[in-house]
Amino acid sequence: MSSSSSSSSQMGELVADKHVRYILMSEKKKESFESVVMDHLRMNGAYWGLTTLDLLDKLPSVSVDEVVSWLLTCQHESGGFAGNTGHDPHVLYTLSAVQILALFDKLDILDVAKVSSYIAGLQNEDGSFSGDMWGEVDTRFSYIAICSLSILKCLDKINVEKAVDYIVSCKNLDGGFGCTPGAESHAGQIFCCVGALAITGSLHHVDKDLLGWWLCERQVKSGGLNGRPEKLPDVCYSWWVLSSLIMIDRVHWINKAKLVKFILDCQDLENGGISDRPDDAVDIFHTYFGVAGLSLLEYPGVKAIDPAYALPVDVINRILLTK
Amino acid sequence: MGQGSCSQEDSFDLLNQFEHVLDSDPLIDEVGFIHPSQFTMLDKESGSSDYNKTSTNFWNQDHKLGISTDILTQLCRVAKHAFLAAFNEYKRHENISSGVSFVSKVMKHSQAVLLLSSDFGTAWNARKLILSRQNQPTLEAFTEELRLSRLILSNCPKSEPTWSHRRWIIKMISRSFSTPQDIVTKESELVESIGERSKMNYRAWYHRCWLVSYMTIEQVLQELNKSKRWAGLHVADSSCFHYRRRLMLRVLEPLKVKGSNANDDETEAHKIWMEELDWNKELVKRYLGREALWLHRRFLSLNWIMYFCRNQSSETGESIVMNEETVIFIDNEIHLLESSMTVPDNKFEDFQAQALHASAYMLWLTKHIPKLWRMLEEKLGTEKLKCVLNTVDQERPSLLLQLKHNNDY
Ligand SMILES: [Zn+2]
Repeated sequence: MSSSSSSSSQMGELVADKHVRYILMSEKKKESFESVVMDHLRMNGAYWGLTTLDLLDKLPSVSVDEVVSWLLTCQHESGGFAGNTGHDPHVLYTLSAVQILALFDKLDILDVAKVSSYIAGLQNEDGSFSGDMWGEVDTRFSYIAICSLSILKCLDKINVEKAVDYIVSCKNLDGGFGCTPGAESHAGQIFCCVGALAITGSLHHVDKDLLGWWLCERQVKSGGLNGRPEKLPDVCYSWWVLSSLIMIDRVHWINKAKLVKFILDCQDLENGGISDRPDDAVDIFHTYFGVAGLSLLEYPGVKAIDPAYALPVDVINRILLTK
Repeated sequence: MGQGSCSQEDSFDLLNQFEHVLDSDPLIDEVGFIHPSQFTMLDKESGSSDYNKTSTNFWNQDHKLGISTDILTQLCRVAKHAFLAAFNEYKRHENISSGVSFVSKVMKHSQAVLLLSSDFGTAWNARKLILSRQNQPTLEAFTEELRLSRLILSNCPKSEPTWSHRRWIIKMISRSFSTPQDIVTKESELVESIGERSKMNYRAWYHRCWLVSYMTIEQVLQELNKSKRWAGLHVADSSCFHYRRRLMLRVLEPLKVKGSNANDDETEAHKIWMEELDWNKELVKRYLGREALWLHRRFLSLNWIMYFCRNQSSETGESIVMNEETVIFIDNEIHLLESSMTVPDNKFEDFQAQALHASAYMLWLTKHIPKLWRMLEEKLGTEKLKCVLNTVDQERPSLLLQLKHNNDY
């Protein structure tokens, strides 16, 4: 962070066109080790890339049919989606698939009963959710289940009260949340828990001042946010910390201008893309979280994103306001 | 990695070579991706002649395996391909007896692919599927999974599917062979050794926290003792201190349910809490400006006031009474705050951070116990209190706004 090098000194603007080109190109680059190692979560990658394009108002440059027909090859008989064709289903990829179809206004091609049964079937007796048939439990999966089912308008398929109780049982003395009861608070997990509580109208379970305290202590001197105490700042936490602060109405507790500058400092001004920290290598994950963070910060030229559903506000309105 | 145009045959040769290396040395305990130029350096370091050097693709000595970064892409791609093909065959034949022959293929190729791409969930799932379908799975089969996942963690210590697979295996073992208590110690040691090389590793420490619910109270106390040294040497590792918090909450549990030997439990817990507070104070004074230490103190102090200052009935800060015990405790904390507020000219940054964390610590307690405000005013005096508030105001003005809201200051 000490190296606010000369190359980034004239920054101050989002190079949106370059990020668009970076995203469109990255889908074509399949030769690197990174892309081979990442192909089991291609569904997540597609969601990150496509949502970024939509936030920058460039979704029409993608072939809807191509994406949707590939997406459908990832669906299992069980109703769940895999990260790529021929892989096993998991809720992590199922949410991304639902979100992608929502972006394209194509939810009607889904067999909603099947997808929602898959998700609802993963709820456990104590209200928690497993990520797949192998049983690992995590509040991330609670969020995913609640978010997907809400988009599909089938929240009645699960026991919402128990799901909420379980999430609340993962609250720590510092006001944050972990992946299971007693697990360490982590900004990513906090986003999931607060998001799930927001969607189900249960935010009264959150001690907003206490959680806000923990969250605003994530901002470090450079203006960036970290995800846990003593960690380095990272662009992806711009999303997790910020969206949580917005949902609990405490976003004015951090220095927004400094955070905007930190995110803009992480851009590759030549080839597009955003990295975790200034001068690191860019990737699609941090490009999405950087742009989404700027959206939450109301940066000009970026569409507004919903902090709970992680989809553009116009997409969410289209879904939730229509029957 | 510029050799994208290798023939399929070459690729399969490479995969065979890799699997042969793995087969011929089942005791490999560490794996890494290394640049081929490092091969010769490693040879020199280990002081060995070339007699068992496999090739320019793999380096294998003293049960350490290096894989050349030149071949990673090609090898990973062919391994994935081979695994998915074998897994499909297996699924297609699962009801026929000939399916057995595909089992070893799936196991072999999934091992290869996971060593290269540890987050590839489908490959872990395939192994779970095969194990769970065996009529009488042997302990050896599960132990083998522990070995493989441990090996993979040596290269990818943050791989969540790998840790998750481990938990699944441990549950299976404890179902048919032994109690989880037997595994706890070994797993704890594993996390500590991985935490050594991979700092503030959430997934590793989560695994250790997960073990706590399986521990007997004796094991909880042992773990508190054993993790102390490590924590003292890694004072910035908040995850390790969270592990201690998890253990300490187990110590408090019997106090929450009033039982017959509540008194014994309380004496023991009281002693442990006191020791942790003293030890934490020592560390706070020795290592200036460490956020993790001050956050740990927030937890220790609030619980101390709630459980050991005759405040047991109050779950929230609201009803905490400023009785004699509480006043004595807070008085000491104010002394600690005062001694943490001096910022000399040299080593400026650490002292500044120390002052900030100490001030934020005290205000955090005040947020929980509003009555503490009056005491701060009395003991510190207006000037010093102003200094505390200014320190926080400079870095985190929002925290003060919040307190202004709640208090009449
Ligand atoms: Zn990140």
